[in-house]
Amino acid sequence: MKMNKILLIDDEEDILDVLSLSLRSDGYDVITASSGEKGLEAFEKESPPIVLTDLKMPGMDGLDVLKRVKNTNPDAEVIVITGHGDMDSAIDALRYGASDFVNKPVREEALEIALKRAKEKLVIREKLRAYTLDLENMCHIAIGEVKRKSDFQDKLITSSNDGIVATDENGIIVIFNPGAEAIFGVPRIDVVRKTDFADLFPTEIADVFSLMFKSGKNMGDVGWKEVTIVRKEKSDVPVRFSATLLYDGEDIIGSVGFFQDLSEIKHLERELVKSERLGAIGQTVARLAHYIKNILTGLKGGTYIVNIGLDKNDTDKLRTGWCMVEKNVGRISSLVFDLLAYSRERAPEYRNCLPNDIVEDVCELLEGMAMENRIKVVRDFGPRVKEVSMDPDMVHRTLLNLVSNAVDACIFDLDSAKQQHEVSVKTRLEKGNIIRFEVADNGCGMNEEVKNKIFTAFFSTKGGKGTGLGLLVIQKLVDEHGGSIDILSEVGKGSTFIVRLPYKKAV
Amino acid sequence: MSKKVLTVDDDSDISIFVKTVLEENGYTPLVARNGETGLAIARDESPDLIILDVLMPKQSGIRMYRELKTDESLKNIPVIILSGIAKRTFLRSQEALTEFGDESIPEPDVYIEKPVDPMELAGTVKSLIG
Repeated sequence: MKMNKILLIDDEEDILDVLSLSLRSDGYDVITASSGEKGLEAFEKESPPIVLTDLKMPGMDGLDVLKRVKNTNPDAEVIVITGHGDMDSAIDALRYGASDFVNKPVREEALEIALKRAKEKLVIREKLRAYTLDLENMCHIAIGEVKRKSDFQDKLITSSNDGIVATDENGIIVIFNPGAEAIFGVPRIDVVRKTDFADLFPTEIADVFSLMFKSGKNMGDVGWKEVTIVRKEKSDVPVRFSATLLYDGEDIIGSVGFFQDLSEIKHLERELVKSERLGAIGQTVARLAHYIKNILTGLKGGTYIVNIGLDKNDTDKLRTGWCMVEKNVGRISSLVFDLLAYSRERAPEYRNCLPNDIVEDVCELLEGMAMENRIKVVRDFGPRVKEVSMDPDMVHRTLLNLVSNAVDACIFDLDSAKQQHEVSVKTRLEKGNIIRFEVADNGCGMNEEVKNKIFTAFFSTKGGKGTGLGLLVIQKLVDEHGGSIDILSEVGKGSTFIVRLPYKKAV
Repeated sequence: MSKKVLTVDDDSDISIFVKTVLEENGYTPLVARNGETGLAIARDESPDLIILDVLMPKQSGIRMYRELKTDESLKNIPVIILSGIAKRTFLRSQEALTEFGDESIPEPDVYIEKPVDPMELAGTVKSLIG
């Protein structure tokens, strides 16, 4: 807006001339009018921000001009010129919105001050208008933003697959999204602002909320909890939920619970377990079949060689063939034992026995095979290991398995440059009525992967020659006997199996 | 001189069995315990026939068969696969290796699933190398 434009209205030409001259010299853009009517016309045409008008004029007087100007533009500053001592008119004019008055004869300083004030008012008003406009804009933007945010959050809550249930500080439900409707099987209109959480949630969940409200603390590290929601006339839903209090600063303003429907996941889990089990059975059957085929081949081969020995009266052949038959009969009985032991609970049968004798027996049994492969069997039996009561069959089984594994580990390692392969078998008495059996070899050893899998059913590193049951059965037997197994192993260096078994005093 | 037959099996029973069958039928048996020594003997002795097990620790028969069939000096030696696993499974494993970028190799001349009958084995060897 042009601030230095002034409309000057006076019926006396002289005054118009003098004043306009002096104002122009002060830098104002002056429009003059010689009557109220003309002044108003000029005002409407030029819209000057400041109007300087004489009050006493023939026709439309200054007061009328003032009223009309204020009517047209309330922001316009109108300064009235009053006759000397005409205080009443001046007050009237001020009442009607004049910003100031100057007395006749118009003194330049007085006019200057009045104009300065008027201009200041205009500037302030202009600034105010700008501020207000700004404020309105800001408000508008802020409201829009708040609305958008709230809409967004609303959509977020509504479209969430999770059930979201929020309560106010008294536990009354205030938010119940479609996900919650699906999980709890009730429409939101039956719930929102009508029930509190204790009515809606099963006890298990309600207790969590009650505790949170009572203690003023969140669920803590519990995170997600799994519960089953029992619904009227509908199937149960397994869900997991987490809950949290809502605070405004220190004050609790409500709570919210998030619920995830686990039906689909549970279903998939069951399917997976089922298919894994079927896969495992298939694998088991294939592995067993292969193992049994090897035994059958051994038996067939054995009888074939025995027959040749009989035909030719060749005792060497007879012995070789018979050994094969015996060995494979042993393999079958061992397989049957393993399968039975694996699939059945078996309580240890305590009997008096000499553990060192049992271990010696095992060493003798396997020494033949070891020697065939130039593997030395080293015995180191603790002299303090005397007659005790434990399950001798179980000890025999365990040691037979471990020593034969140790021999196999050496056989697999035969091509390495080791001077001498050996399997050492140690027995020791330990504190707390425990006997330690230790079987160590310097064979091929195991890497971490193998070590992690050795107690897995049907895992074997012996090609088709192992059932993958041996260690699993040993672990089960040792567990049933209240003992423990420890393993040390390094690839290329060998393995040590340590079995600790508790015993009772011999009776 | 009698023909040489190499048998590769980690199961000593089967080695003894196959060895006896070969001896009884007038062949000279060579015995290897795993794929690695099997290949070494095959290169040293150039046998007339190889009888190969599939599942062995260290180098398996699957790999050894592949090496035999891609080695210029060995690829023409006939091979009998003698195994507890089904022929289908063995062929699938070979296909899988081929798909993984190895070259395609011919099927074994004869595939015998365990348990093997001594007459059948002798007959098969005879039909292949006389």
